[in-house]
Amino acid sequence: MGEVELSCRAYVKMYLHCCLFPRCSVNGLLLSSSGSTGGAVCVTDSVPLLHSHLPLAPITQLALTQVDVWCSQTQQRIVGYYQANACVSDSSPTPCALKIADKISEQCENAVLLMFDGSKMAPDYRVPPIVMYERRDSKWTLKDKHTIMLRQWEETRAIATQMLESGDQALLVDFDSHLDDITKDWTNQKLNSKIAELASPANGSM
Amino acid sequence: MASVADMYDVTWEDMRDKLRKWREDNCRNSEQIVDVGEELISEHASKLGDDIWIIYEQVMIAALDCSRDDLALTCLQELEKQFSDSHRVKRLSGMRLEALERYDEAGKDYDAILQDDPTNTAARKRKISILKAQGKSTEAIRELNEYLEQFVGDQEAWHELSELYINEHDYGKAAFCLEELMMTNPHNHLYCEQYGEVKYTQGGLENLELARKYFAQALRLNNRNMRALFGLYMQAGHGAKENKCSVKAVEEMLESMQITMS
Repeated sequence: MGEVELSCRAYVKMYLHCCLFPRCSVNGLLLSSSGSTGGAVCVTDSVPLLHSHLPLAPITQLALTQVDVWCSQTQQRIVGYYQANACVSDSSPTPCALKIADKISEQCENAVLLMFDGSKMAPDYRVPPIVMYERRDSKWTLKDKHTIMLRQWEETRAIATQMLESGDQALLVDFDSHLDDITKDWTNQKLNSKIAELASPANGSM
Repeated sequence: MASVADMYDVTWEDMRDKLRKWREDNCRNSEQIVDVGEELISEHASKLGDDIWIIYEQVMIAALDCSRDDLALTCLQELEKQFSDSHRVKRLSGMRLEALERYDEAGKDYDAILQDDPTNTAARKRKISILKAQGKSTEAIRELNEYLEQFVGDQEAWHELSELYINEHDYGKAAFCLEELMMTNPHNHLYCEQYGEVKYTQGGLENLELARKYFAQALRLNNRNMRALFGLYMQAGHGAKENKCSVKAVEEMLESMQITMS
């Protein structure tokens, strides 16, 4: 099946989202800014959505609509969905995760469902604490690890750890926080710049 | 490493008062409580008088939240020395075992409390929390239902039950729990709005109509509740032509409140 590449920015924002709300289930969307290239998907950004009442419909629908509109304005498209469960020992997709991922795969052929594995997020983790699923024969099945790429994983991990230690997860705005204070920017431009700054010595084209 | 007192230019009294405020507001800002509390305990313990015991309890719980078992153990040991036979301290000891994922031992502690005092609600709720932490939602729901048969007025428990039902996608029962909460808290806009969301999720003409009513009620109680406003907007867009005027009404309301992104 197709390859999936996860960018530094996408990973770090998801990671910080999980760290900002360690006691809640969190979810969000995965975006891509490039057109589909023969089955390979390049996830360039992530949008954190909710940290409360994930299975409830109205806010999820609202968020999907708003992200859709933003994507069409910025030449991006929604290519996947991520979720981290509150219960650390359980990293399997919940029914609402499957539902949202199904909806995304209606619009995007190689949609990806990403679950965070809480048990692997200890400070000394060596491998990406994520599990990916793809849609095969109308079912979401585990993706072959070898088709998932994180370029410059060591640098990405270093950036994520550094930002966590300096408390930068407090800068992250998810859709829920945006609804609590409508002036907050759920596209996280400030955080994106910060991540780019930290990434630039390593690789100019992150 | 700079102390909290130096970084924020506060006295020990300010720190003590801040901790009290966080206690009263039931805030779960554990990292801050640990920073402030640890310094207060280690450097100003003698000045705190009898306040120190409740601060030990507060800091201990916050320390468990931040995986600071060293600090939690210190606080617990001080409390055990002072209050050797206390159920309240035994519950804290159980919470520490929970944090270390030693659920069976924690359960034994709580069972011991309940044998002595079957009406001890804190111990019963901790037992339900253990089930929740282990992912045993069905059992947690069953136990919580039994608990609520006895302690019908426990709002925290009703809210917890509504959350458990929502996670199990049992929206009907979640709605029932929220109805209980709205009856006893008719002025709480958050419950009205959550009820609206649950009804919206259930779907169907009647439920959407109810959702609209409760979103509107939430807005009446607090006109800055964005979720209720958006809920009303989303619901208005659902369905027949006569709803077009509702959409317009909501748009006008949004404009008049001048709520924009920029």
